[in-house]
Amino acid sequence: MISKRYVEISNLVKSYPNPFGDDFRVVENLNINMFQGEFISLIGHSGCGKSTVLTMLAGLNEISEGGIIVDNKEIDGAGPDRAVVFQAPCLMPWFNAYENVMLGVENVYPHATKQERHEIVEYSLARVGLADSMKKFPKELSGGMQQRVGIARAIALKPKVLLLDEPFGRLDSLTRMELQDVILDIVAQEKLTSMIVTHDVDEAVFMSDRVIMMTNGPLARIGEVMSLHWERPRNRAEILTDPLFFEYREHLLSFLEQRAHLKSHLHDVEDNRQFTNENLLKFSF
Amino acid sequence: MANPTKDKIKYSILKVIDVSGFKVLDPPVRLLFKEEPQKQIRDISRYMLLPIVFVFACLAAWTVLGPNHKTKSGEVPTPTRVWDAWKDSYRFHEKESEKEQAFMTTGEDRGAEVEKIEALIQKQEGEYAALEADSQSIAAQAKEKMESEIAPIKAEYDELKALSFSQKKERKSAEEALAQKVANKTAEPQQLVTLIKENGIKSESEKEELKLIKTKIDLIRSNPPKEVKAAQLAANKLADEIQHSKKRIDYLTSGNREVKGDTLLAKAADASTQLNTTTDGGEAYKQAKSLVSNTEKAEKTKGQQYPRSASIVWQTYRSLITVIIGFSLACLVAIPLGIMCGLNRIVMACLTPIISIFRPVSPVVWLLIFQIIIGAFFPDPEKHPLFLFLNDQANPLSYFQTNPAMIFSACTVAVCALWPALVNTALGVSSIDPDHLNVAKVLRLGFWSRLFKIIIPSSLPLVFAGLRISLGVGWMVLIAAEALSSSDGLGKFVWDEYQNGSSQSFANIIVACFVVGIIGFFLDRVMIVLQRLVSFDESASL
Repeated sequence: MISKRYVEISNLVKSYPNPFGDDFRVVENLNINMFQGEFISLIGHSGCGKSTVLTMLAGLNEISEGGIIVDNKEIDGAGPDRAVVFQAPCLMPWFNAYENVMLGVENVYPHATKQERHEIVEYSLARVGLADSMKKFPKELSGGMQQRVGIARAIALKPKVLLLDEPFGRLDSLTRMELQDVILDIVAQEKLTSMIVTHDVDEAVFMSDRVIMMTNGPLARIGEVMSLHWERPRNRAEILTDPLFFEYREHLLSFLEQRAHLKSHLHDVEDNRQFTNENLLKFSF
Repeated sequence: MANPTKDKIKYSILKVIDVSGFKVLDPPVRLLFKEEPQKQIRDISRYMLLPIVFVFACLAAWTVLGPNHKTKSGEVPTPTRVWDAWKDSYRFHEKESEKEQAFMTTGEDRGAEVEKIEALIQKQEGEYAALEADSQSIAAQAKEKMESEIAPIKAEYDELKALSFSQKKERKSAEEALAQKVANKTAEPQQLVTLIKENGIKSESEKEELKLIKTKIDLIRSNPPKEVKAAQLAANKLADEIQHSKKRIDYLTSGNREVKGDTLLAKAADASTQLNTTTDGGEAYKQAKSLVSNTEKAEKTKGQQYPRSASIVWQTYRSLITVIIGFSLACLVAIPLGIMCGLNRIVMACLTPIISIFRPVSPVVWLLIFQIIIGAFFPDPEKHPLFLFLNDQANPLSYFQTNPAMIFSACTVAVCALWPALVNTALGVSSIDPDHLNVAKVLRLGFWSRLFKIIIPSSLPLVFAGLRISLGVGWMVLIAAEALSSSDGLGKFVWDEYQNGSSQSFANIIVACFVVGIIGFFLDRVMIVLQRLVSFDESASL
C-alpha cells in the first residue's frame, strides 16, 4: 500500500540568530506531504530558502522549529536513507569512480559479503551508464560523468528518499537532458520518493508530479502548488509538444515574474536591516 | 608522421621530468623527438644556455676576485683550488676504504693482494724517481734563472754598500776635524751640530736605499716560479700514494686482523703446550693465565673493525642519517598532533601557546637544552646498552658510530623541524572541503573511516608541503648543531677545518659548503616528488 504521507514536513522553520535583533527567519511554517514514489520540485528565486528546506530534509542543516517525518520516523541528522546528489559532484579526488561509490556501500551494508558489495557498486555505476569508466579518477571524467558518479553513489545506498540539490546546475543543456532521463528512469524503477531543487522551469515541469513554488525569503513559504498529471514513464518528445506543457510553463514563469516584481517593490518599503541581511543571503546562495 | 609508440615514449619521459620538477629538461627532450625544433631551440637557449653562461660568469668573477682578498688563512681559494681540495678529500676517503679492505682481507686473498700492491709500489717508485728528478731539475733551473735575475741587483747592492761605507768614513773624519776646530775655538759649536745632523740624515737615506734593494732580492727569492711549486706538489702527492700503498701492505700482513689474531692464538697454543709439560707450579700458573688472556685477545682482534678516520664522505653519511632520524622524530610527533589540532578546536587552543612560544626559539638553545637532558640519560655512554647494541661490530649501523652527541643533534633537528609540519598539518585538516564532510555525514561514516578515507587524503598535499619545509629547516639546523656539539658530520667537518687552519682549510670549508648545498637541494627534490605523487590536485607544483 502506498503511504500518502511518506514524507511529512510540518511547520518547518529555519531561523538564524541575529546578534542585533530578532532571529532572522529564512523559512516560515512550511508544510509539505509527499506520498511514496512522488517526485516534487521546489522552485523559486535565488535565496528563497528552497535549498535550505532540502538540506534540512537531508539532515545537513539544523531544523529550528517544526519537524520532518520520513517513513513514520522523525529524522535526526543525516543518514543514508536520504541520499543527496549535490550541485557539485563532491567526489573524493583520491578515489576512482568505483571507490567513490564503494565508500558509501561499505558503510551502509556492513553485513554484506565482498561480492555482494561489489555487485551493488557495479550495478549502480552501470545504471548511470559508467560501466566502462569504473576505474577512472574524477579528474579524468567530464563534469557530466562526475555527476553520474554522484548519482550512482546516491542510488547505491538504496535510499528511501532521493534529494537533488540543483544537480544539473553546472551542466550544459544536452548533458542535463541525458541526466534527467537517467534519474527519471531510476526513480521510476526503484519507486523512489524524490525532491529536486531547481531554477529551471522546463526541468521542473518535465520531471515532477508536483511543483512547489516558494515565495521570496526571508519568511519564505509555499506560494502555490501545481500538480502535473502526465503518466510515467514520460516521453520527452511527447511532453514537449503537449499544449499543456506550455500552459504549465507559462503559469510557473508568471508566478516567478510576479515574485520578482514583488521583491523589487518590497525593497522600497521594508526597513533596511532586513534587506541587508537578505542581500547577504542572496549572494551567499 | 605521427608515430604512436614514439609519442608514448616521449610523453612518459616528459611525465617523469614533470613529476621530478626538472622542467628545464623539457625542451631538449622535445627537441630530440623533433617537436617544433625552432621553439625548443629558443627555449633551450633562453632557459638553459643563458643560466649556464651566467653560472660560468659567476665562477669567472670568483676566480678573478678571490685571490685579491688576503685573509689570515691565506687568500680566498679559486674554484680550481676548491675542486682540487674536493678531489683530495675524496681521495682520502678512498684511501681509508682501501686500508679498511686490506685490514679485513683474510686467507689466500692476502698474498695475491700484497703482490699486486708491491707491483704498484714498484711502478709508483719509478714514477716518483722521474718526478723527483724532474722537480729537482726544474728547481735548479728556476734557481739559476733566479740567480741570474738577482745578480745585477746584487752587484748594485754591493756597490752601493761599499760607496756608503767609504762616504760614511769620510763624513766621520770631517766631523772629527770640525770638532777639533771647535775645541781650538776656530769654529762655532753650532756648525758642528748642524754637520752631525746633516750627516745623520744622509746615512739614514743610504740605509733606506740599501734596504729597498735587499727587499727586492728577498721578494724574488721567496717567490719561486709556479712550476717549481707544482712539480714539488706532484712529487709529494706521489710520495703520499707510495706511503699509502706501503700502509696497505702493512694492513695486509702484520697489521691484518686475522694475522694479529693468529699470532695471539699461536702464543696461546704455545702456552698450552708449556702448561702440559711444566713441572713448576708458578710456571704453570703463569702459562695458564697467558693461555686465557691470549685466547680472549685473539677472539677480540679477529672481530675488530678498522678504526676509520673521518672522511668527508663518511661525515656526509652521518649527517644524512642524523637528519633522517631527527626528521622522522619530527614527523612522528607533528603529524598526529597536527591532525588532532585540525580536528579539535580545544586541542588547537591548548597547543597554540606552546607552538607560539617555542617556535621562535633558536636551535642553539635547543641544542644546549638537549645536551643536558640527553646527557643525563647516558652517564656512561661507552657502556650504555643502546650504544653497545648500535655500535656492535655485527650491527650494520655501527658504521655511523652513534653517540649521545648524534642523538641530541637529531633531537635539535626534530624540535626545529616540528613546527612547519605541525602547523601545515593542522591547516590541511581544518581546511578540508565542507562538501566532502557533508558527503561523509550522508554516508554516516564512522570516525576512523572519515579520518583515513576523507580527512587525511584531502590534507596530504598541505602536509607534504609542511614536511618539505621541515626537512629544509632540519638540514640547515643540523649543520649548525653539529658544528656546535662536535657531533660527527658536515658541520663538524667545517668546524674542524676552521680550527685547524692549514693552507687547505679555506678550500675545504668551501667544499663542505657546496656539499651541504647540493644535498639540501636533492632532499628538497625528493620531497617535491613525494608531494606531487600524493597530491590529487594537478596544479600543485613547486
